Amino acid sequence: MEYRLTAENLRTVVVLVLFALFVKPALAGPTIPLNVALVPVSNPEKLIDGVRPAMRFLEKEMGQKIRHFITLNYSAAVEAMASGKADISFMPPLPYVLAHHRTGAEVILGELYKGKSYYYANIFVRKDSGIKKLEDLKGKTIAYVDPISSSGFMYPHDIFVRKGLARGGLKDPEGGFFRRIYFAGGDEQAMRSVFGQFVDAAGVSEFSLNLLPQKDRDALIAIAVSMRIPSHNVVARKDLDLKVRARFIAAMLKLNQPPNRKYLRHLYGTDGYVKVGNASYRSVVDLARKYGFLRK
Amino acid sequence: MKILGFHQRKIFGACVMAFVLSLSAGPFSGPGPVYAHIVPPENFHPVAESYRRVTFVLNVNPVRWSLVWRDMDRIAESIIMVSAYAANKFRTDLAALRRNVRQETKGGSVPSSPEKREKRRRAVFSIATRTVASLIISHLQKVGSSESQNSVKVHLSVGRKIFRAFADTLPYLDPKEWKRMQIAWLEAFSNIGTPGVMGVGARPMNVQQIRARTAPITAYLSKFLVRFQAGPARRLAPRPIGSPTYVKMAKIPWSLPPGSNINKQLPRPRQLLGMAERGANEGDTGLIALGDMAFDSSEIFGEPARSLGINCNVCHNKGVTNPGFFILGLSRLKGGMDVSTNFFAPHANNGIFDHFDIPDNRGIRFTAPYGRNGRTASLREFVRNVIVLEFNGPEPDPMLVDGIVAYMNEFEFVPNPLLNSDGTLSPKKVGAIVRRGEKIFKRKFPQMMGGMSCASCHIPSDHFLDRKRHNIGSAKGFASGSFDGAYDTPTLLSAKFSAPYFHDGQLPTLRAVNDWFNRRFKLGLSKREMSDLTAYVEAIAGGVEPYETTLNTLEAELEEFKFFLSTYEFLKEKGKKELIAITLKTVATELQAHKWDLQNPKHMPILNKMELLIREAVELHRNGKTKEVDAKIAIYRGLYRKNVEVLR
Repeated sequence: MEYRLTAENLRTVVVLVLFALFVKPALAGPTIPLNVALVPVSNPEKLIDGVRPAMRFLEKEMGQKIRHFITLNYSAAVEAMASGKADISFMPPLPYVLAHHRTGAEVILGELYKGKSYYYANIFVRKDSGIKKLEDLKGKTIAYVDPISSSGFMYPHDIFVRKGLARGGLKDPEGGFFRRIYFAGGDEQAMRSVFGQFVDAAGVSEFSLNLLPQKDRDALIAIAVSMRIPSHNVVARKDLDLKVRARFIAAMLKLNQPPNRKYLRHLYGTDGYVKVGNASYRSVVDLARKYGFLRK
Repeated sequence: MKILGFHQRKIFGACVMAFVLSLSAGPFSGPGPVYAHIVPPENFHPVAESYRRVTFVLNVNPVRWSLVWRDMDRIAESIIMVSAYAANKFRTDLAALRRNVRQETKGGSVPSSPEKREKRRRAVFSIATRTVASLIISHLQKVGSSESQNSVKVHLSVGRKIFRAFADTLPYLDPKEWKRMQIAWLEAFSNIGTPGVMGVGARPMNVQQIRARTAPITAYLSKFLVRFQAGPARRLAPRPIGSPTYVKMAKIPWSLPPGSNINKQLPRPRQLLGMAERGANEGDTGLIALGDMAFDSSEIFGEPARSLGINCNVCHNKGVTNPGFFILGLSRLKGGMDVSTNFFAPHANNGIFDHFDIPDNRGIRFTAPYGRNGRTASLREFVRNVIVLEFNGPEPDPMLVDGIVAYMNEFEFVPNPLLNSDGTLSPKKVGAIVRRGEKIFKRKFPQMMGGMSCASCHIPSDHFLDRKRHNIGSAKGFASGSFDGAYDTPTLLSAKFSAPYFHDGQLPTLRAVNDWFNRRFKLGLSKREMSDLTAYVEAIAGGVEPYETTLNTLEAELEEFKFFLSTYEFLKEKGKKELIAITLKTVATELQAHKWDLQNPKHMPILNKMELLIREAVELHRNGKTKEVDAKIAIYRGLYRKNVEVLR
């Protein structure tokens, strides 16, 4: 059958072409997706369940597609940024300063916890253990989370070093004070280990108590608090287009508005975001140098 | 019409293609989000989850075999990942058992007996336990043989996660070995190392150490659980009988299986207590306060409800319902359960699985008889039976039952401005659709139960019920022609907020209920008539402000604890020592549970102090030191008064 093309059809064609070439791209924004890396947390399940609507919100606000992925570990996120596979990454403080040092990535936003952009690490023990102060832990065991964790190793470890109880550094984490230190692989595992009396103490984020069932929480007590830890953050690749970066920041800050707060609950469970700069992480850099994560 | 030439046609084709491509290659196209390499959370591995569910369900009588097979199939899927041969053997063994169970259940070809049922239950549990133990060993063996760091980490993580299948039993059955194995896991994980960040902070993996550290775990499982056979104990558990440190008389606390939910709904239903709405001073209503406390108290129940924190308020949240309530093995649907299995009160097991939807208690003083099948005329008797026969509680003090009944009698329906007090519509407040629906509601249908209308049972002038039982065909009887399918007519007042519907919650919406009647009795109502009828039912079943506006419940809870404690003087005067003990324990337990809702953690010491005061009062009361109890309660009240603002 021969196709019959009429003048009327041609007019339709012209309209379609104009729409395709000019109108739709203008509606849609840039066609290159923004790649967002999410680093694993103690409960990535919530992240997986909840992050999609938040990403959709950001896409809508930015007018740009967002492709997000969860990395195996902090290193993978940093490598993804270094190689340009990730434009943005959500990160804890210590991996951020290492990423900044190695790739020039820049922090753009900090998380808020009850309105504050910092938190603490605690040393938890069982109330019935008889351990009242840090000195009582000499010759005993402690569970941390991971060697590269801020609140799950560097800061709680620093509590003992600062007090003059242990030598510092990743090479000798027992530091002549503990009989044995463990890296439990997660905040929850560390907390459960101290609750179950498999270790004598846990050095973890202050929020870790919430990972235990309510009925178990009263069995534990924090006997020491770390220095202030700048909050987990959002980092941009060094050479990310400044306009894209600005649009992303603007979209993220809209999450703080009451109608959009529902998305935050699943995005690392934070209370909001605030603009921060590299200077906010100076104290992390200092500690990272002190304990051999960065060269002095 | 002008016909275009060849070139023009080519342009047309190209343009259409350009348009199509521009749509498909837009910014929102392309692959979806990538979820790769997720570091596993400390939730349950599917095998651990399934094993714990299977254990729970097999311990319930009657066993719901469909749930057991579903989880056993899930376990089989995980075995395939490790060994196709083992998976095949597992499936073959299971298939034989499955066949036996099918033949021996109702309607099957082989007669059943309690002994046979017991045998099957034990056989399935034994297979499940052996399989889980073998799976952990397989993963640990793969750790030993693996070259890749990631592979080692994955197998170690999976092994540890499956090991949690035993975390609610083994710590009690063999605490010494459990601790030793937990430390072994910690040692192994500490040898995993880390890649650091681009090499910085990296620590190498030590596979030799991991292998050495996990060896005791493998040895223990191989020795005591890989050839496990369930023994004679009624409660099935992975008992490592051969272990020298096995605690034969261990008391294993009950825990609910994964997938269960006994959290109360949020936002909470707005509770309307008649006396409070009429302005009564809550401090003057001692008996009602006692009932309120008891309604919130697991202390009035026996085990296992008590230690699981189950109380009236868990199911009848604020006297209403709890639509999310679900206990796997006991519930068929969310919002209900079978309360007559062996789980909560073994002595009162009726031996059949009969799931009931949790009824709404609003306006309960007008809705006798009680129970979905209207088996009890008196609310007092019903309450006593719930305590003793459903939740294994001790025979309650008569004053306690009086209190609960007094409290429940204050439950009001949600106010509904669309209705007059006689149940007729307020004509100015409703539209034509609702008025048309009302006519259908009152229309008699010859084909419906001898010419009845909806209003015949749901009598508008009598709270939309008739206090009778009818067999409308919503339940299957035990035999054709049996008369066991009658259920009590429920009120329609406030019903919009207590979905799902029918005695077993089989229908999700009021519209579905109307559709069911239309089909069942061939009423022949058109789509429009159905919409009209539903609009009417929703109008009469509705009301204003059915839920609280805040999600933060601490303030309301603390006020409630104050109300609970207001009974103290009254109970002391009546010499009710046991009820004082229940009150104090309940306040302490509730404080412990609710203090975590505090918005500003810096005030936690106040709540801790309040909790401590009540716990001390419990001890002092036990020792008969009344004056000291008085003093503690006075300090508690003072502390609360002083800090009530900051605790908000």
